[in-house]
This record gives sequence, structure tokens and C-alpha cells, in this order.
Amino acid sequence: MKRVVSVSLGSSRRDHQVQVELLGEQFEISRLGMDGNFEQAMAKLQQLDGQVDAIGLGGIDIYVYAGNKRYAFKDGLKLMEAVKITPVVDGSGLKNTLEREVVTYLLQNTNFIKKGTRVLMVSAVDRFGMAEAFAEAQCDVTFGDLIFAAGIPYPIKTVQELEETAARLLPEMTKLPFHMLYPTGKKQESRDEEKAQKFAQYYHDAEIIAGDFHFIKRYLPDKLNGQIIITNTTTAADIDLLRQSGASCLVTTTPVFEGRSFGTNVIEGVLVALLGKSWEEITPDEYRDIINKLNFKPRIIEMAN
Amino acid sequence: MATHAEITASLQAFNEGYQKNKKLKIMNKDWNRVILIEASDIKSQHTLTLQNGELSITEGGPKNQNADLVVTSDSETLADLFYGDITPTEPYMNGTLVIKGSEDDIVRLDFISLMIWGE
Repeated sequence: MKRVVSVSLGSSRRDHQVQVELLGEQFEISRLGMDGNFEQAMAKLQQLDGQVDAIGLGGIDIYVYAGNKRYAFKDGLKLMEAVKITPVVDGSGLKNTLEREVVTYLLQNTNFIKKGTRVLMVSAVDRFGMAEAFAEAQCDVTFGDLIFAAGIPYPIKTVQELEETAARLLPEMTKLPFHMLYPTGKKQESRDEEKAQKFAQYYHDAEIIAGDFHFIKRYLPDKLNGQIIITNTTTAADIDLLRQSGASCLVTTTPVFEGRSFGTNVIEGVLVALLGKSWEEITPDEYRDIINKLNFKPRIIEMAN
Repeated sequence: MATHAEITASLQAFNEGYQKNKKLKIMNKDWNRVILIEASDIKSQHTLTLQNGELSITEGGPKNQNADLVVTSDSETLADLFYGDITPTEPYMNGTLVIKGSEDDIVRLDFISLMIWGE
């Protein structure tokens, strides 16, 4: 049996473990939340190193992208470098392929996306593939990176502006502690009431809200008006929350095992274990081929309100 | 060691950078803050006031109100910082630059300086 473990800076309340068979291989996949404790995450990674087939880093990015430029979070690199033997991934490789193709899939198989559809991507640099795919589909996209990561009510409206802003800010911002830019630990369990109210208009104006679920949840206004949510890492309780909030549909980009949509870091860990290569050696085409073999498709949940 | 006059000049350069950046004014329309800039090794205080996206700088501490953010460092670091010779992240992370205030405000201040002087 292959073992893939996701060590997350997120809440331990979301921990779970499943066993699945993929391409004839048995997998045990588990997620361990470290409640925002960076040192505990380092220790757990060192303990798992060499003991499992792949490790995913959750609740933190190592790499984010804007255009052809890649930016590395110092905290993410520190965690990655704690692992010497086992392949370790943050999901960014998979996001660039799988999530880009989710938009294509929805274009071809649903009427969710068309020219001019108003899309709010709560953050785009951590899902640049998806961001580009929405822009290529000529959607009216609002990139919320400044709004939700920095609290600045400035919607970025083009990929070019996103790239320019990223080039100016990310070389330095990535040196800050990750928790200053992203909800980790207990912050994942609560809503930021002030900002949820302040930024509600961005949610209400959108037809599609896409991106990182912890951002979506932290700033979720009291009521939505039928928006489609495209995200992953949702639990049954999250689905209830979205339903009660008034979302019309949930699309999860990663496969569901035992009712749970896993993070891209976990799925990338599974693919790395299946391919038997280090992530640096895996090309986007190899990811695409194996995703096709696995028949991974987005899950669409219609929400009756 | 920088002098009070050098810090004043660096803050004027910072203000000029801010005034030239129309986007920054739009971005900061919602962020009304009083920021005290204080040197730790010489007697030097300045007050940055952001109101409806407009930035103004005065010598001395804030009058009749408390600062929302207090930025303290040695005079040389402050002058380097506001001239854009160094970014705030590194001195902040190594403790040379101390900023007292909410974490959200600290990120915002870092952001402003990077928008003025960033790559």
C-alpha cells in the first residue's frame, strides 16, 4: 500500500484518512492539521520523511505564479527543505494543469461559463492556471488578491495588471510570515466579520466565485444570490454552509474520496507516488495523461435552496 | 547614523513617490491612518497621515490624536527605507524595524512602500 500524507498548517478539525484504489494501487491518504503551529509542522515533516511515499504541504503555498514568473514563499520553502527523502509537493504543479482544465471542462459541458460571465477569483496567484483560463474564456474576471490577502479594496481586472502587481509585491511579500497573508490555524474556523461585510459587494456582483476555499469561507457574506462556487477541500459541513448561504452550485476541482474533496497538494502527492518520479521531473503533459487515465473530473453539486 | 533632516528628506521622497502613483491613492481611499515614525538613536519624530487616499507628512508626533501605527528603527534604517534603498520586509523580519499596530495595518504599510519602491 502506498501512503500519502498531507501536513497542513490548517485546523486539525479537518483531519481525515481514507483508503482508495487508483490504477490498481491501494492508497492510504491522510491529512494532518497542525493548527497553524509552524514548528509542529516542521517536526511532523521530519518524522514522516522516508516513512511515506509522498508528502503534501497544505494550508501553505510554496510556489505561486503570475505569467511566467514563479515566486516562492520563504515559510513554504523552509517546510519543504525539512523533507530530505520523500517527494514533497504543495499542489502548485497540479493547479496549473488540473484546474486550468476544469474551466475548459465547464465550458464544454455546462452553461456556467460564457463570454462576459462575472467571475471573482478570491486569489489568483495561487491558481494562475485557472485565472488565465477564465481570462481566455473572455470572462469578466475580478482578481481579488489585493482585496483578500492585503485588505485593499482594489479589484485587479486584467492578467497583465495581475502580473505587474505580483512582480512589484511578491518578491518581498513572500518573505513575510505566511499567516500574515493567508488564514491559517484557527482563523480557518472563523469568519472575518468586518471584512466579510466590507467586501460583500465583490461576492454579490459575481456569478462565479472561484479559488481557495479558506479565503472564500473567511470572507463569505451572510447571503449569496445564487453564485456558483468553484473550489476544493470542502467538507460536508462546508457544503451545508454554502447551501445555507445561497450558493446555487458547487464545483470541486479535485476528486472526492468518501465525501471529501481533497486539496491539490494531496492529489499531487498521489500522482507523484503513482508516477514514481520527483515532482521537478514531471511535466504538465504527464500530469494531464495520468489525470485522464484516472478519469478525474470536476464534481458538480447543484444546491436546491 | 542619519540626521533628522535626512529622515525628513527621505520622507519627502517617499511622499513624492506616493503622489505620483494615482493607483495608490485609489487603493488607500478606505485607509485613514495616523502613523508615527520614530528614530531609536536620535531625537526624530514624523507623522504620516493618510486621509481619503491623500498622504501628508509633518515633523513631530501626532497632534491631538494617537497613532494607529508606530514605526521605530535606527535613523539610518529609516532614511534607507523611505528613500527606497531597502525594503521594509527584511529589517522588519530581523527586528531592526519595529512596527506596533494591527497585523493588517502592517501588511498594508509594507504594501504601500513596495508599490512605491518595489521591483
